[in-house]
Amino acid sequence: MIRLERVEKYYGSHRVLRGIDLRIERGEFLAIMGSSGSGKSTLLNLIGGMDRPEKGNVFVDGDNIAAYSDDQLTLYRRKRVGFIFQFFNLLPNITVFENIALPLLLRDSTDTSRVKMFIERMGLRGKDDAYPYQLSGGEQQRVAIARAFVHDPDIILADEPTGSLDSETGMMIMDTIRQVVRETKKTVILVTHEPYIAEYAERIARIKDGVILP
Amino acid sequence: MTFPRLLKMLVIRNIREDKFFAVLSVIGIALGTGLFTGVKVASDRAISSFESEIHGISPVATYEIYDSAGTDFDERVYPTIRRISPDSLPVIRTFGFLPAWKDAIDIHGIYSLKAARFLRRGMTGAGTGRGALFSALDWESFYRTENGVFVPKELCDRYLLKKGDTMEAFVYDRAVTLTISDMLPAGTLPGTTVLMDIGNFQDAFRKTGLLTRIDLAVDEGTAGEIRAILPPHLAIAKKEELIENRKGLVTSFRYNLQFVSLIAILVGVFLLYNTVFMTVVKRRTEIGILRALGMERKTVIFLFTAQGLLLGLVGSLIGIAFGQLAAYFSVIAVEKTVSTLYSTIAISDYLLSGRDVLMSLALGTCISLIASLVPAYEASTIRPHETSREGSFEGRYRPYERALACAGIASIVIGISLAYLDYRYAPFSFPLLAYIGILFMIGGFTLVSPFTLVLMLKLLKRPAERFFRSSATLSAGDLRGNAYRFSVALMSVATSSALIFSLLIVIFSLRGSLQSWIDRNITADIYIKPASCKANYCFAPMSEDIVRAVESIPEVEAVDRFRGLHLDLFGKKVVAGFFDTGVKRTFLQRRHRDREYETVLREMENGEPVVGISEFLAIRHGLKKNETIEIQSPAGPVPFRIIDISSSYSTTSGYLAFHRRWLKTLWGLDDTTQMSAYVKAGADVGDVIAGLKARLLPSYALEIMNNRELRGKILDIFNKSFAITYAIELISIAVSLTGVISTLLSLVIERKREIGILRYLGTDWGQIRRTFVLSAGCIGITGIMLGTVLGLLMSLILIHVVNTISFGWEIQFRIPFLFLAVLSGLVFLTTVLAGSLPATIAKKIDPKRFISFE
Ligand SMILES: Nc1ncnc2c1ncn2[C@@H]1O[C@H](COP(=O)(O)OP(=O)(O)OP(=O)(O)O)[C@@H](O)[C@H]1O
Ligand SMILES: [Mg+2]
Repeated sequence: MIRLERVEKYYGSHRVLRGIDLRIERGEFLAIMGSSGSGKSTLLNLIGGMDRPEKGNVFVDGDNIAAYSDDQLTLYRRKRVGFIFQFFNLLPNITVFENIALPLLLRDSTDTSRVKMFIERMGLRGKDDAYPYQLSGGEQQRVAIARAFVHDPDIILADEPTGSLDSETGMMIMDTIRQVVRETKKTVILVTHEPYIAEYAERIARIKDGVILP
Repeated sequence: MTFPRLLKMLVIRNIREDKFFAVLSVIGIALGTGLFTGVKVASDRAISSFESEIHGISPVATYEIYDSAGTDFDERVYPTIRRISPDSLPVIRTFGFLPAWKDAIDIHGIYSLKAARFLRRGMTGAGTGRGALFSALDWESFYRTENGVFVPKELCDRYLLKKGDTMEAFVYDRAVTLTISDMLPAGTLPGTTVLMDIGNFQDAFRKTGLLTRIDLAVDEGTAGEIRAILPPHLAIAKKEELIENRKGLVTSFRYNLQFVSLIAILVGVFLLYNTVFMTVVKRRTEIGILRALGMERKTVIFLFTAQGLLLGLVGSLIGIAFGQLAAYFSVIAVEKTVSTLYSTIAISDYLLSGRDVLMSLALGTCISLIASLVPAYEASTIRPHETSREGSFEGRYRPYERALACAGIASIVIGISLAYLDYRYAPFSFPLLAYIGILFMIGGFTLVSPFTLVLMLKLLKRPAERFFRSSATLSAGDLRGNAYRFSVALMSVATSSALIFSLLIVIFSLRGSLQSWIDRNITADIYIKPASCKANYCFAPMSEDIVRAVESIPEVEAVDRFRGLHLDLFGKKVVAGFFDTGVKRTFLQRRHRDREYETVLREMENGEPVVGISEFLAIRHGLKKNETIEIQSPAGPVPFRIIDISSSYSTTSGYLAFHRRWLKTLWGLDDTTQMSAYVKAGADVGDVIAGLKARLLPSYALEIMNNRELRGKILDIFNKSFAITYAIELISIAVSLTGVISTLLSLVIERKREIGILRYLGTDWGQIRRTFVLSAGCIGITGIMLGTVLGLLMSLILIHVVNTISFGWEIQFRIPFLFLAVLSGLVFLTTVLAGSLPATIAKKIDPKRFISFE
């Protein structure tokens, strides 16, 4: 369970988040919507442990990650979070297989059976040894999804995962995400501009001027 | 008008942003061109000092008469010559040494009136007004004062001397006080030439009735006429030919140093290439956009070439200042080397001329043009949409990997073949082919390096992943994906370690060989030579008093009197040494057992005309043992059988070793130019030397050394004459190691985004650091491997081709394994440290900036 209490985030003197209170249950699929610059990505970064708020608490299963040290945050991300980005953000110089295996490798795990499984699931068979630039956008995003799930994290954070794909491919990607999430019972927080994408979620939270609209 | 704007926007901003790399490449270019210019200036000045030495004070002289053995000759031949050609100037000259400033001067004894006439004749042609200047001098003091001399203003300025001052000088075997009768205006004569009246000279230095040469302003016909009447020991030769002959002395020195500075230039080119290439990579988005907006390809090429040229220009401007500094030190080095290995040479001018400056600028501009054209061309091939596809920039080189490797191997093979050709046939008097061969090899290794890196990755990846897990995967991906850029770093490591290795192997081998030469040759207890002679071999005889004094000391068991002569061999001057082989042989075994040499010495004593020659001559003229060579003597050519060929580390112009008896029978001489003495068993060498000094030094200026001192001095001379080479190589090494840091650093700057991604994935700083260090380590190991192979090849060529051709020194190839291992370790450590530096910088990057805001 994730719980944000009066979370405030500043960039210099610019207050981007002005007291966010938000509760996300374990296994919940939440969509966050809001206009550009409203602070969605900032919020996701706080939950994902990429950043700490200036004020307020971020509880993840009872632990306040806002009080974590850098090292603790790193470990938290490595073990518990999976990120999916708009621009895929695959590492260009390693193969599809290695990109997917990366989170496992970071935990010194040598068991690659899950990598193979996700390659199959994502319909990437035969692309193991390809490099990211040899894939289409949809394929790259599927690699990114596999990478987000491979180490079995509890929380999946997706920042406009379909933003740079056409609507058909976008829906296909969303179908895949929903399917995997249902099976694995993961908490998903999805940021999107598109209402039809938001519909994949169980609940929609709207953010405006740094606060969650009731 | 848009071009300057673009220039400012892209080029100037790039330079400002990447100050570090810009500065590095500027330094690289500056060092390279500076060294090159410095060395060129030094050898040019050496040559012009030969020219002025041979021309002497008579600019119109075309021929000179000299004794072919290099000794002074009887002046009674002069009246006959004068009858044929009144335009003749008899000269007696010698080198003096100013102990106060450790500087050499060239003392000419001249017939003043005749000289003035001779010069005035030269004046009509050249219009220098020398004659007029001469008449204004204080001739009164010149004639009257004891040891009165005219000294060039340059020399006076340098040592703050003025008319009427005196200076202490070692001349022949004595110390004398010269009085400055007047100053010669600047520019009249070379800065080290000192004039003395010939009568005073002969009188003061006990050379009555002797001349060193007669300068003649004659045409070929008259020269032939004179040749016909000259006694056999005298020769007449064209000044131009003598100069040409002399130039050979500095050629090897010049080309060796220029080659080393070429390597420094190469390193500079590497750095500049890397800098421009990096900007191209960094700016590829902008280039893509500009191309999409309709910018022409040639404008892109132009822009990036401009960047390289700008850096190159700044580099070569700084290079001029550095070149001046380098010129100063190379002049000292040339002076030292030529003076000890051949005979005294005095260079006073080391300032860059306008032409040198232009050459240096042109060189810097050319190399920066070359270094930036390639990446500029690469930039122009970037397609407008290329930016969106990660990795494709490097990716398109992949198909050429094998082709490049093949070309590289071909180039290495060509390089080795060229060196081998030089080894077998030595078609030039300096090792040109070997040098070109080395360049080919370096080029070849550069071309092979991407392939080698990829190969190493294939080999190392699996085992590395077992130990380092994700870091290994990431590092391998990084290296593979940027193989071309990493190859630059790889070659930096490879060239610097190759330089270190070859240098060490050469030093080590040389020292070993030198040691055995010293063991064979430096066997006496005491060594004595005139203090005015700073060369290894002296040619001006010492007073017989000195010899007698040494012989009369009861503790001295035997004396080896040595006589050095300059002889013509196949039209080139070589050094001939005449010594007492009996004494040498008797005492040879005291310090060192050398049966072979003993046999050689014994054979020399037999009375047969036999000679030992230096390897240099054997190589140059294809001579072998038991062949016969004709030695020109006053009594005509005499055939001598070669019985020994050995290295001579004491001269670079070829050496002939004779039994002393031939000096008397063929040249009619029985004097001594330097000597060594063996002390009776039980006697204390130190005491004997102290006694000798007490007895001789009041009246003579001599250098008296014991065995250990001489050995030390020889080693010291060696170290000094190699010092400049070491310095240049050290600079190249330092610059190439910075190349490693610069490449790794550039990769971090480019890799900001990827580091950001990794942070999102939960990578900790340790893992990121490990990734960089692994990459650096892999570069280090591969570079050291390539460097070892290249270094071995280079040292083989340096030792067996370059050394033998340019110095005639046969060197025993030895590898200092332990040293090399330690050094490889150090180089490896340096690269690893270089790898952790970027990791520290990576830490400052805010990952969110590169992920959230695309
Ligand atoms: N590192 C930063 N430094 C300064 N300001 C920042 C930084 N990151 C974000 N901001 C500001 O915080 C605000 C919220 O940014 P954020 O990226 O969270 O918006 P967003 O809701 O994700 O917008 P979009 O839908 O366009 O992605 C913006 O006004 C932005 O200018
Ligand atoms: Mg956003």
